[in-house]
Amino acid sequence: MVETILLAMDESENALRAARYVGRIVGGSRKSFEVTLAYVLVRPSPDLFEEPEGAKKYEQEARAKMEAVFAQAAAVLQEAGLSAENIRTRFIVTDEPGIAQGLLAEQKAGRYGTLVVGRRGVTKAEEFLFGSVSNKIIHHAKDCAVWVVE
Amino acid sequence: MADVAAHQEGAGHLPAGLREKVAQHGGEYALERPLRVLTETADFFEVVPYDIMLLAGRYYLIRGHEYEGRFGLEETPKYWVKRAVDLETGERKILKFVFHESFTDKLGAVTIRYVRSPEKEARVLDLVRGHPYFMQGFAVIDPGGNNVRVLDRIPGKPLDHVIEGLALGHEEYFHTRLPDFLSALVPVFEAIGFLHAAGEKHGDIRRDHILVEHATGTYKWIDFDLDYFQPEHPYGVDIFGLGNVLLYVAGMGIHTISDLYHERPEVFERLREEDTSPVLRHRVCNLRKIFPYLPVELNNILLHFSMGADVFYDSVDELLYDLRDYLAR
Repeated sequence: MVETILLAMDESENALRAARYVGRIVGGSRKSFEVTLAYVLVRPSPDLFEEPEGAKKYEQEARAKMEAVFAQAAAVLQEAGLSAENIRTRFIVTDEPGIAQGLLAEQKAGRYGTLVVGRRGVTKAEEFLFGSVSNKIIHHAKDCAVWVVE
Repeated sequence: MADVAAHQEGAGHLPAGLREKVAQHGGEYALERPLRVLTETADFFEVVPYDIMLLAGRYYLIRGHEYEGRFGLEETPKYWVKRAVDLETGERKILKFVFHESFTDKLGAVTIRYVRSPEKEARVLDLVRGHPYFMQGFAVIDPGGNNVRVLDRIPGKPLDHVIEGLALGHEEYFHTRLPDFLSALVPVFEAIGFLHAAGEKHGDIRRDHILVEHATGTYKWIDFDLDYFQPEHPYGVDIFGLGNVLLYVAGMGIHTISDLYHERPEVFERLREEDTSPVLRHRVCNLRKIFPYLPVELNNILLHFSMGADVFYDSVDELLYDLRDYLAR
């Protein structure tokens, strides 16, 4: 039976750290693991851009950046022993109200057994205003394991 | 220069009765210059008092522009927001012309990028049509494709002016007025929850963006043309704003470390970092340290907005759950 892991990615160093951790844990295992590197883009409202194609450009730029990040994370996982065919990538554009909700929806839809997210250090003010994806996932994830990597 | 419409006095074609309506609602002084009827709104500086805007078949007499103050600072003119009168009905209106701007603002040490969006405000106006706790209006697209919002002017006072106008000490306020103010906030906060459930934000929640309507005492939200993008916590800035409103109402004003240092040094000595706001570090959230008769249950709600909180409110519903629970005691 294949154990499925949804690994939340973004451009941050702690997301890469989470990838390294996943690699360390599952890379040399005799069990079969499939790791999906996932980036969630919350679809921005067109109001937020001055040019008409602003939202589309925003998505295209994010895709381009994440291609490089996914490649880097995949290399980390392969170096740890995971085979390329067991590494997938998902660029998710969601209308869910936030990144955490987008990840939770993906976990549910894909029935991933484990959801992995990196936790970045934020100030209390940032946590208050911008929230914490990892905290939201801890509170709301169901029917899966959650790993929070610091 | 804004395109002047087909109508201008002396050139003929003014609708019958328009001069009389202008005199009725603008006084004879309004007739001392040739009437100018405009349809396009791109250059809002060019639209001046006693001009007439023709929007979606209705005539509006311009009476001036709005001002907005920023708590203690001099009021600044908002040239894109005109005061007007509907010449048919005599109703006071606000006409908001297109003004796209994006700017960053600091909430404490945190920078937020805001966008002013007529389209967003128009969408929210459609969403809240008939909702008792929001300013009402509609959007019109002028011949130049500009989105103009025609808003009903609310005769009323900002909530903070209502509270500031009370000649009471805090303890008397707490016993005699605070319960009513808190009860009145519940549907107002629910209204923000309604926006969030529909995927919209207010964007600029402030205590002076709640108007208390003179005739009914109903609280109404105004000014929702600002937007911000924060995909990790889309409604966090709105919730922060609600917390500030609640702290203001509970405290009958804002209480800062500096105020307490000067006026209540015995309270200042007891303050700790965890008693203050994580965002506006000079503001005290632990109001029970200033007003010891404040119930623990109410104070606990306020402490969700403090540095000492382990968990912040993630949604308006969570805040309302606790507020309703407190009010039901």
